Amino acid sequence: MADQVGPSTPSRKRSKWDEDEDEDLGPHAHISVPKRRKAKETKLIPTNALPSPRPNPPSRLGHSVYVPQRTRHPPIIPSRSVYCYERLNQIEEGSYGVVFRARDKQTGDIVALKKLKLDEEKNGFPITALREVYALMSCRHENVVGVREVVVGDTLTQVFVVMDFIEHDLKSLLTVMPSPFLQSEIKTLMLQLLSAVNHCHANWILHRDLKTSNLLMNNRGTIKVADFGLARRYGDPIGVGGMTQLVVTLWYRAPDILMGATEYSTAVDMWSVGCIFAELLLKEPLFPAKGELELISMIFKLLGPPTKSTWPEFTSLPLAKTLTIPAPQAPLFRQKFPYMTTAGIDLLMSLLTYDPEQRTTAAEALKHPYFTESPLPKHPDLFGSFPSAAAGEKRRKPFDSPSAPTRAADYKFITDFDLPNSP
Amino acid sequence: MSALYPLASLSQIENTPSKQHGMPEDLEEDLRAYGCKLIVQAGRLLHQKQVAVAAAQILFQRFWFVTSMKQFGVGDIAMGALYLASKLEECPIRMRDLINVYDALLQRSIHYSKADTEFKYHAMSYFGSTFYDIKDAVVVAEMQILKRLGFHVQVVLPYGTLVNYLRVLGLTNHEDACSKAWGYLNDALQTPVYALYQIPTIVSAAILLATRNLQIPLPSTPPNCWWELFDAAWEDIWSVCGYIMRLYRERDVSERRRVMGMLTKKEVRRWLEEHAAGNPTSH
Repeated sequence: MADQVGPSTPSRKRSKWDEDEDEDLGPHAHISVPKRRKAKETKLIPTNALPSPRPNPPSRLGHSVYVPQRTRHPPIIPSRSVYCYERLNQIEEGSYGVVFRARDKQTGDIVALKKLKLDEEKNGFPITALREVYALMSCRHENVVGVREVVVGDTLTQVFVVMDFIEHDLKSLLTVMPSPFLQSEIKTLMLQLLSAVNHCHANWILHRDLKTSNLLMNNRGTIKVADFGLARRYGDPIGVGGMTQLVVTLWYRAPDILMGATEYSTAVDMWSVGCIFAELLLKEPLFPAKGELELISMIFKLLGPPTKSTWPEFTSLPLAKTLTIPAPQAPLFRQKFPYMTTAGIDLLMSLLTYDPEQRTTAAEALKHPYFTESPLPKHPDLFGSFPSAAAGEKRRKPFDSPSAPTRAADYKFITDFDLPNSP
Repeated sequence: MSALYPLASLSQIENTPSKQHGMPEDLEEDLRAYGCKLIVQAGRLLHQKQVAVAAAQILFQRFWFVTSMKQFGVGDIAMGALYLASKLEECPIRMRDLINVYDALLQRSIHYSKADTEFKYHAMSYFGSTFYDIKDAVVVAEMQILKRLGFHVQVVLPYGTLVNYLRVLGLTNHEDACSKAWGYLNDALQTPVYALYQIPTIVSAAILLATRNLQIPLPSTPPNCWWELFDAAWEDIWSVCGYIMRLYRERDVSERRRVMGMLTKKEVRRWLEEHAAGNPTSH
């Protein structure tokens, strides 16, 4: 029987636990392997059919690209104390909690500490906070804000997410910039945003709250997607009642959600990306509506009302019957964006498409001809830098030029004051 | 999700916190397995998705590499892990339901740790503090799991990998091999292997046990060893097999009762104090 099964002492491939001078095994390189007790004989498997516990010397084989070395896996280590950080200043406060700027006492690194709101939690750790931490830890990418660790305070309700400190958010920048971003800069920003969104979607994460205030930008022209407070995994069977419709800030909300869809996917994020693209071009929000009805009418005005061909599923959505659909009209993209190239308009229209099935994906958008036509995307290092309000730096008012002196006497007085030796 | 899920270090494996407090390796292994059984039983009663029950067992196993059973009750952490995993897998359990199920399982364990007579469930007193005590314990357990695992709660389950490997080995038509290997993966959840080894190694071990048990020949002669296709090391596969096989060893009644009676930290502490005199590793 043993012959049939194969030899009982097959060649031993080198264990990933073993010491190996050729590989970097990290801090545990010189700890011996714990010896396990032999499995006792059972009725299930005859002992002569079991593999030998003493295999032959190793056959040296290269490491597969599909399975990372064991030492690449993170260790199981508890959260550190928040007192490892020195608090510098408060950056902002929202419904989710407070964000502080802080310094790591050990390394001196400047970080952002986001305090999660856990007070009076009747059902343990809030699922929303859990989704945020899980999503951020799962979506490690150059253009997603990096989570360094999660630290805890004195009580169980004090939990802080430690993130890389980023100087600006796009919303604030667009407000204070004297002139809009250049086309080459917009292309760079859009490529980074699409790359981040594509990475999240590839990891089965929906962000569900993409907007300019959730896009952080450092002084080296790199943007990072932040605030995963509404993020969640998708692709699994959805529980009873489907997914919530109370997602995405109103101005960036996709028409399918506005119409009451409870099953949605990556397309909701892509609509938001389209709204952000338009905002970068216009230097103001595309659909600054006060309510849902106004937003729907604004969308209808720009895109033209939905039809059977542009959105076949429209009539089956819960709120579609409650609306009076205006007469068909052509989209007004060209009038709204007169200086955009044909490729740029095409990308914008593919992002702002009614039918979520036809709406472009992040992977498709990254390959769009808009990014390869002139002017080419600017290298992030060539972006200008701005004073950071979050870091407490003072901004000069960009729009107000200094007023000219009203009287020559004032000028004389100033020079006299500054130069006492003058005649 | 993220491929790089947390794994225990060698020092954590050689010297677990419970071992440092004087708990024998066999007893810790049995208590871990019993905690996982509780998770499975509670999961069934609560109609939980299998992925949530599996994830809960993995989180439960990881926890004991950073915390001693002297500090937290096995039962509390088991239920905290199930509660946490239900949120992570987007199928959250109602706290009230979990408390009722945990109370029933706790009562049953305590009953069978003392007698072999038929178990009768006694509903919680409406005016008693049991409900709130259990609720507090579960909330604290959930928070402690998060805190002591550094919020690294990514779990990668092995089932998709198993299907791929069986396909590569041409075993998908062999129904017995598939179900047996799947069964071994489920049983392995009651051991610490998911916190020790990478998924390809564990899946290879399950396939090895299934094919040896069913006497299905697979190429095992160098340089054509089937497990090398999956970048699994022979010694690691063998170690995983050892962990799984030890689950099936015969235990006498006193051993089983001892484990059932040690679901709380109070009972663990009492046992450790009683055995401290004769145990050189106790602190």
